[in-house]
Amino acid sequence: MTIRNVRDHGQRFRPRMACLKKVEAVMLEMQDPKTGVKSQPQKLVITTIPHAITGEDVVTWLANRYTIEAEEAWALGTMLVAFGYIYPLQDHKRLVIKPDTALYRFQTPYFWPAQQWPVEDTDYAIYLAKRNIRKKGVLEMHEQEQYNGLHKWMNHKWDFIVMQAKEQYRAGKERKKPDRAVFDCQERAYWVVHRPPPGTVSAMDYGLERMVDPNAEEKETSDFFRRIMIFTQQSIMRPRVKSSVSIGALVKYSITCNKHDPFLAPCLPSNPWVTDDVTYWLLNMANVDIPTKMRVERWTFSFGELLSDPRGRDDFRLFLKKEFSGENLAFWEACEDLKWGTAATMNEKAQQVYKTFLARGAPRWINIDGKTMEVTVKGLKHPHRYVLDAAQTHIFMLMKKDSYGRYLKSPVFKDTQKRAIGPDQHRFSVSQLEANARKRRPSISPIIVRQQEKEERARMATSGPVDITQVMSKLSNKGKEVPPPKK
Amino acid sequence: MNRWRRSVDEIQARKRQVTECERALEALCKVTACFQQMAISIGSNSDGSFLREEMDETRALAHRICTGLHRRLVPLLTERATEPGQEDRLQVERLWVIFLTGLENLQQDLHKASDLIDRFPLKQRNDRRALVNTGASDGVIGVSARAASVQTPWLAVEVEQNPDLKTHITQIDALVKEMLQKVSIPFWAVEATQEAWVEGAQSQDTAHDQDETLEEMMVVSQDDQMSGCCQPLNCKLGCMFCLST
Repeated sequence: MTIRNVRDHGQRFRPRMACLKKVEAVMLEMQDPKTGVKSQPQKLVITTIPHAITGEDVVTWLANRYTIEAEEAWALGTMLVAFGYIYPLQDHKRLVIKPDTALYRFQTPYFWPAQQWPVEDTDYAIYLAKRNIRKKGVLEMHEQEQYNGLHKWMNHKWDFIVMQAKEQYRAGKERKKPDRAVFDCQERAYWVVHRPPPGTVSAMDYGLERMVDPNAEEKETSDFFRRIMIFTQQSIMRPRVKSSVSIGALVKYSITCNKHDPFLAPCLPSNPWVTDDVTYWLLNMANVDIPTKMRVERWTFSFGELLSDPRGRDDFRLFLKKEFSGENLAFWEACEDLKWGTAATMNEKAQQVYKTFLARGAPRWINIDGKTMEVTVKGLKHPHRYVLDAAQTHIFMLMKKDSYGRYLKSPVFKDTQKRAIGPDQHRFSVSQLEANARKRRPSISPIIVRQQEKEERARMATSGPVDITQVMSKLSNKGKEVPPPKK
Repeated sequence: MNRWRRSVDEIQARKRQVTECERALEALCKVTACFQQMAISIGSNSDGSFLREEMDETRALAHRICTGLHRRLVPLLTERATEPGQEDRLQVERLWVIFLTGLENLQQDLHKASDLIDRFPLKQRNDRRALVNTGASDGVIGVSARAASVQTPWLAVEVEQNPDLKTHITQIDALVKEMLQKVSIPFWAVEATQEAWVEGAQSQDTAHDQDETLEEMMVVSQDDQMSGCCQPLNCKLGCMFCLST
């Protein structure tokens, strides 16, 4: 009686696994005795087990079959291993294909990943109990943690789990020794894929579950055709741009952002997802004092980039404070706050904005043209989330055309640029990488982060001769988050 | 006087039924474990009509045990909670939870097996070429013998028709639904009698020691690979030398 909200027996479709059907076709082709992958017997101490394949054979077969380059065949082979269709016989925790004489074997179809069946925790619990019986309590660290966790929340099923584990263990012993070795390897490989130990990358991270099968053909009802009609009508009405212009824009974007893409250029000092070292994230936090060189360079790409980076925005705000024209940025931030804030506070915020920025003789009056002012004031009679949009766009363009250029030439920016750090690339050895993987810890809880921000806000509010610029902007900046839930 | 004796008889009858159910549950676990061992070979190079027949027989066995258990457990639980014989209510609830979990487990294995059998039909000769070379050889004889050795009190007595795979699945679905509707007990209130980690600490017989060498067998070849020899041939010799030191 596992809780199932939908008694679906397979109707939940896991989106990124729609490719599994194609992978299975590839696997079956590989089995052909004449045109498939060559297999060789694996010689162990006591016995010989057939059907071992080498990594280089797999990669060569893929390259020949699909006429692709060796690198691509290598990537495809790694995908087969990451999904669990082929498992390595040595170094079973690294799910990659090594294009040398490293040995692999095909996984039995029972243990293939299936789009329809989620991998059940009950089965994992039974497997861990079996392993416990076999290894007399000596399990790996992550397995021990999982075992304890499962024992706690599956306590009502635990008797069954232990009984079934014992029976499966005894049933397994009825088989011949080489078969038993093969089965143990298969089962272990299955669980390495579906419950990866720390440091293993498997392909089973599939995101949200969907209620619609992405492989299924859609039925052609009148609704289907109506949606096609709406879509085509909208695309006709869309403003069109010459392809030379749009392609030029894409090329320009690619050239500028090429060095900043973590897939195309190495992330300095190192990509935390790859090396498990979080220096990169720590150096690029929102409230850091000295930003990195790459980050500062991104601010020069466009004004939007500068504003969307909180550290960049702080720098810009400092510059504006020196020029005594901080009200534009403050107004822009207030508009953002209104757009993204909670509905309950909207009326109040809109009135506040009017009193502070738009009314005649307001303390921080912004300079927008008469037409926009008229439209905005009229809209404020019945305020909604986007009532300040026109004014916000106007101010944004004003800042972009005027202040942004001056900011980039200002001593504030030049100083930040000079102080920015360019960290060296990490060079980790294999053992250091493993140590990093072991030391992985979750980051600060968001509850604590929210508390810190609240304290900072309180501090800003009570600090000395109130600098309206700072307070308004900091308040509207932080007010974007959802207020803490009521007790 | 008569009333007293009747309630004693009732208590004894109930106790007998409960022990029957316990033994049947153990049998069910055994049979499902054997079924799983066989299902693992579907689609692999050791698949064949023999395997499928053995699977059918094991499945039929499981079906008989399940229906028998269902017939006995439901009245045990739906009886009025009167004093005589209800001290074992906790135990019966525990058995109920184990039975349900076992059924779900079996249900899952049946779904998987059915799916795999559809994908790997053995009807034509060239279908055999599509079987996956997993390195296993035929080895289910011992497993099926183990399954067949299961004893439950009602096995010989209650003979029912053996359903085929698809009907079996729908029957189990219906069974589980009906069970959940008829008996409402809070499953999560049932506590396990087994402590954590106990099963690993129990003393094992000598056959267990042989298992260790299996694991080590795999590890030895791994060590060799890491020591840098590139030829599998050399590894073979190295293996032998490694083990002798």
